[in-house]
Amino acid sequence: MNEAVRTNFDIKDYLRLEMMPHFMCPGCGHGIALRCLLWAVHELGVDKNRLAVVSGIGCSGRVGAYIDANTFHTTHGRPLAFATGLKLARPDLTVVVITGDGDCLAIGGNHLIHACRRNLDITCLMLNNEVYGMTGGQVSPTTAIDRLTTTTPHGNAEPTFDACRLADAAGASFVGREVTRQAPALKSVIKAGLAHEGFAFIEVLSDCTEIYGRKNDLGESPEMILAQKSDMRPEAFGNAADEPFRPNRLRAGVLVQRDRPEYGRVYRERAAAERAKAKAKG
Amino acid sequence: MTPSLAALHGNRACALAAIAAGCRFFAGYPITPSSEIAEQLSRELPRVDGVFIQMEDEIGSLAAVIGASLGGVKVMTATSGPGFSLMQENLGYAAMTETPCVIVNVMRGGPSTGMPTRPSQGDIMQARWGTHGDHPIVVLAPASVQEIYDETIRAFNLAEEFRTPVIVAYDETIAHLLESVVIPQRRTVATVTRKFARGDEQGFQPYAETEDLVPPMARPGDGHRVHVTGLTHMADGFPTQKPDLAARATRRLLDKIEQNRDRIERTETFEVEDAEVLIVAVGIVARAARRAAQDLRSAGARAGLFRPVTLWPFPEQALIEAAAKARHVLVAEMNAGQLALEVERILGRGRVARLNRIDGEPIPPADIARSIREIAA
Amino acid sequence: MRAEPKGEQAAAATRALNVMIVGVGGQGVLMISKALALIGQKQGLQVKQSEVHGMAKRGGAVFSHIRFGVEVWSPTIARGEADALIALEWAEGLRWIDYLRPETGVFIADTRRIVPPFACRSRRHGAPMAYARETPAEALEKVGEGFALDATAIATTLGEPRAANTVLLGVLSTSLDMPAADWLAVLDALTPPKSRAINLEAFRAGRAWAEAARDDPTLRFDAGFVPRARPADAPDMSVALVINAAWCKGCDICVKLCPERCLVLDAEQVAFLKAPHACTGCRVCEWLCPDFAIEVRTAVREAAGA
Repeated sequence: MNEAVRTNFDIKDYLRLEMMPHFMCPGCGHGIALRCLLWAVHELGVDKNRLAVVSGIGCSGRVGAYIDANTFHTTHGRPLAFATGLKLARPDLTVVVITGDGDCLAIGGNHLIHACRRNLDITCLMLNNEVYGMTGGQVSPTTAIDRLTTTTPHGNAEPTFDACRLADAAGASFVGREVTRQAPALKSVIKAGLAHEGFAFIEVLSDCTEIYGRKNDLGESPEMILAQKSDMRPEAFGNAADEPFRPNRLRAGVLVQRDRPEYGRVYRERAAAERAKAKAKG
Repeated sequence: MTPSLAALHGNRACALAAIAAGCRFFAGYPITPSSEIAEQLSRELPRVDGVFIQMEDEIGSLAAVIGASLGGVKVMTATSGPGFSLMQENLGYAAMTETPCVIVNVMRGGPSTGMPTRPSQGDIMQARWGTHGDHPIVVLAPASVQEIYDETIRAFNLAEEFRTPVIVAYDETIAHLLESVVIPQRRTVATVTRKFARGDEQGFQPYAETEDLVPPMARPGDGHRVHVTGLTHMADGFPTQKPDLAARATRRLLDKIEQNRDRIERTETFEVEDAEVLIVAVGIVARAARRAAQDLRSAGARAGLFRPVTLWPFPEQALIEAAAKARHVLVAEMNAGQLALEVERILGRGRVARLNRIDGEPIPPADIARSIREIAA
Repeated sequence: MRAEPKGEQAAAATRALNVMIVGVGGQGVLMISKALALIGQKQGLQVKQSEVHGMAKRGGAVFSHIRFGVEVWSPTIARGEADALIALEWAEGLRWIDYLRPETGVFIADTRRIVPPFACRSRRHGAPMAYARETPAEALEKVGEGFALDATAIATTLGEPRAANTVLLGVLSTSLDMPAADWLAVLDALTPPKSRAINLEAFRAGRAWAEAARDDPTLRFDAGFVPRARPADAPDMSVALVINAAWCKGCDICVKLCPERCLVLDAEQVAFLKAPHACTGCRVCEWLCPDFAIEVRTAVREAAGA
């Protein structure tokens, strides 16, 4: 990666223009998240030919297809497992996973905790819109309590996951969170995650205006993304031990950054030592 | 330079063959009776600059394997019944995205947890139809440790040549059988590597209808920057729901196997030329059947054996030829009747009889011989 | 009970000495206040010091009052009663200048400017700032005695720009009748070992500068000081908004979140720049457009007639 910050970011340089306009609903925050990812990629000077974007199923899973890079639209909940194989086999690639709250925390929850634990150099962007949008608006592990969805007609009674605390507890060496409203800050968090050697988990608070917002009377996209911004408070993360799940007020920015050995590097070092030992033996 | 002779367990032979075939990535999850393959490869792969990883489950194992293969590496996983069930989702993904991979399924007693340490041939139909939708699949069923070695190498070659998942299915008995194996010199092993896309980055069609129906694969880093999706996709790799394009895409997937049957099918026959009684069996049962056929011949009966080494696509024409003179056909298998369904489909139900065993024990030659005598009487 | 002064002369002899120190958060206002208080104590005087800080955070206004005398009661200095005003930041100095005694007050200010965010009244590129325009020459005319120096530059040449506060303390020391050795002893005790040498050096440099300036009044301010109406080297920028109607889905985000409210949705529900002159080129619309339909293009405008 090129350390020097490059200027003149033109998102069109990183899009498959023949695929545009993209299929996402008007006001969907996933587009803003995509911009911030590509912006960070641009500023870090990542070679598009060596950028691999792995996504799962759902609205978030479709985001990768618009990126002019090596894009893999895999199975539901499994992008982290696919990315694990890809990164181990091809450490020269910059591997980014784009996943959603359902994809990452429900069906793919097991892969997430083990990816955090393993600490392979993958950047995981979880686009959290609190709902299963693609299938018509069912409750997800991050749906706020009391919210209406097509499968919680009387209001959601299930507590809400705090994905960042989950990732932290599972040992992720980098955890970050940002809202789409703060696009430059989101770009910076993604950039820090990409530059971090190890597993970087980044939760992007996105909005599902068409389905979730409408059903819960949360206003149009501008109101929704502003509300997410005002949900950010500096005190919530890390001292909310009494709350079992997700606190109402969330902290944004880089929440955790710890120095842990990157799994791929450790594996390759041990393998090289093993080969050297075998060679010495003749 | 002569080939070496080694006494190997089936699972060990499988692991060594994978290395010889060029396998450089393995992801798996511990499960009896396949775990020795993972254990062996966790030692072997680092020595050849390959990667072994134990994943969190079998779903993730096959996902990681496919991910590595998408990176351009030869890959394998190994499992058994319950794990194989979990792999069906991503097996379909590998078929749809035409990602070469080898899946070893050491069959054990089922359903569910069943009898983990007992042999079975209960996954013959799951191997063919386990994942949803019409999909191409190649299944190889070795019957000896030597054949595990040879067929594992062939599995890699077929997977690479046809860009498709290939399953190597054998039962627990052979997995843990110790036999002498001729290990060829590494350089004499014929290996196939998939075609990679070269040049022409602009307008490259990753799923184009090439003459051999197997398009070259774009490798990340080479400049093609393609999209890979499990959605039904067009030649350019992007999803489509247009009926004509969707039909064409799925048709090509099926045709690339169907039209290359002669390259994929492999069978073994024993005394079929004049056989009036034909035994059809795979794997360890075929070894008992061969003995049964020999015994019957000694007793004056014209018995023969037809053994599909390639289980799927089923060697239909070879079976018809082998059964040309047979008045009776006996399908002997360690399940409640799976291979029999295919044999009956091809030869008609009239002359096909079944011998099944579902108690976790192999079928001995005497049982097969007795069945034949009963049918012929 | 405080003894009533008998007359003007007696009042002058017994009244407290008032020093104000002002600046913005992070500059070290409180550090030199404490130094001054300790020096006062060393002279056997009563010292009262009060301050406002904390809410200021880094970059916000901070001020401190120090009063010393034989007897001091009130901790704060009334307007027009400060004997000396030390300003670590130029505009902060100007803001408090009327606290000085009109005829005799000593004004000591760093000419370095720290422009607060609220001075940027327009988001337009290169827009003028609402920052004090007075030059040192103008400011010094308003006070009894004035010193305007680039203390930060002096401190920087010594190797630590943050020692500008001690430079200014050195300047003040020439106006107060206290032995230089006392000043140095206090600084020696107050500063941490890591920055002790540099602070003592900075104090001496400030003192030397002030002694020279006392001899030659032309040195008392930087005549070349130019008030900055706009950011240095800001080129004249033109701003153009390119809206890709084919990609716009009319989600309204740009319309509602534009700080200048210069966008609307047209009849086709496509974003339209209704008030191009109000557009400052801040890029919020570009950043937040989920459909990448807006591109803000800025270019350096050619000088007229060039």
